[in-house]
Amino acid sequence: MKIEDMSVLVCDDSMFARKSLCMFIATLGVKNIFEAADGKEAVEKFAENRPDVVFMDIVMPVVTGIDALKQIKDTDPAAKVIMASSVGTQSHLKEAIKAGATDFLQKPVSNDQVKKIIENISKGVL
Amino acid sequence: MFSQFFGGYLLNSELVTKEQLTKALDEKKNTRMRLGVLAINEGLMTAEQVEHVNVTQQTVDKLFGDLAVDLGYLKPSDVDDLLHKQPTDYLLLGQTLVNSGVLSNADFEKAINEYKKKLALNDDDISGDQSEKLSVLVNEFYHFNTAENAKLYTNYTTLLFKSLIRFIGDDFTPLEASVTRSIAAERTVRQDITGAYSGVTMIACGKAEYSMFSKRFAKEAYIAAEEFDDASSGEFLNVCNGLYAVNESNEFGTEISLTPLTFTKGETLELGRECFSIPVQFTFGEVEFVISF
Repeated sequence: MKIEDMSVLVCDDSMFARKSLCMFIATLGVKNIFEAADGKEAVEKFAENRPDVVFMDIVMPVVTGIDALKQIKDTDPAAKVIMASSVGTQSHLKEAIKAGATDFLQKPVSNDQVKKIIENISKGVL
Repeated sequence: MFSQFFGGYLLNSELVTKEQLTKALDEKKNTRMRLGVLAINEGLMTAEQVEHVNVTQQTVDKLFGDLAVDLGYLKPSDVDDLLHKQPTDYLLLGQTLVNSGVLSNADFEKAINEYKKKLALNDDDISGDQSEKLSVLVNEFYHFNTAENAKLYTNYTTLLFKSLIRFIGDDFTPLEASVTRSIAAERTVRQDITGAYSGVTMIACGKAEYSMFSKRFAKEAYIAAEEFDDASSGEFLNVCNGLYAVNESNEFGTEISLTPLTFTKGETLELGRECFSIPVQFTFGEVEFVISF
């Protein structure tokens, strides 16, 4: 799949974190980028748009990132969800992996890491 | 980080004023190191010898290094070594203060020697980034060792200053801390720590400083809007606290969680517990960090 044909969902309650990640992903050539400000909205946007990859924060109001991850994996076990959180503790890592996360990024997320993930999904190796 | 705390030391020792220091922090990026200050820092020349070379240079058309060799203060190999040394940040600050006439070479020599001696740090410690050494700086400045949960305060504050340098900029000076139970500020953002122990963390400052702080963190992604200022400053606090939580988990096996961020505008907040208020003077204004464990 070409990068420009990919679709990405970015879910973070911080407008700053969301906008800066979306801005960077757009520079990679991705045209279809969706945003969600909490876990509930993430689950809804996922069902609606079926993105190729989701970047998901953990600590969020309404529905947490972990709960949203579980709900997304329930509807689509093949969904690729990258957890991007400021709290990359051992317990959060274990919880995210147990719930089916594809990868875990510690905030502040580096552009290189995001680029690599997008490229790997484009090549079908993630 | 040595540079920022050295600035704080100069301020607390009343060798410089807050305004002089802020101006020097702003100007130091354009400062070129001179051999005299480097030689003083290395202990190769005294301030008096440097002044002698400077005065002689007014009548003799020679470079500082050549003249210092002629006068027998330095060996040619010393000059080569000094020329190849990368100037460290605190030396650039010292040089800027000397250039602007705020400090004399003798003041600088006395201050840097006393500060290094006080901290029992050598040059390798100063240029390095080992948390253990950095925590010496923090503890010496704030005397957290007298507080309950001293280690938590030291670890958190050390990480906070590293994060400020990494994400906001190095043009700041830590000011004396105080203990408070309430905060009055135009803007605040707060995140609490829960889990193995409880804690309060907060950024408090004026509206203009809040926008500048947010702009520095967001860089090119910055959007001039109050909502974005909250998002950006909040994300700084969240990232800083997240890194702290990861360190606590990895190093001590302590699991803590973070609460969602809360924001206030123009309120006086009763904190319900004793908190350390740590003001930091940036070149764009003062920002207060409030912590309690």
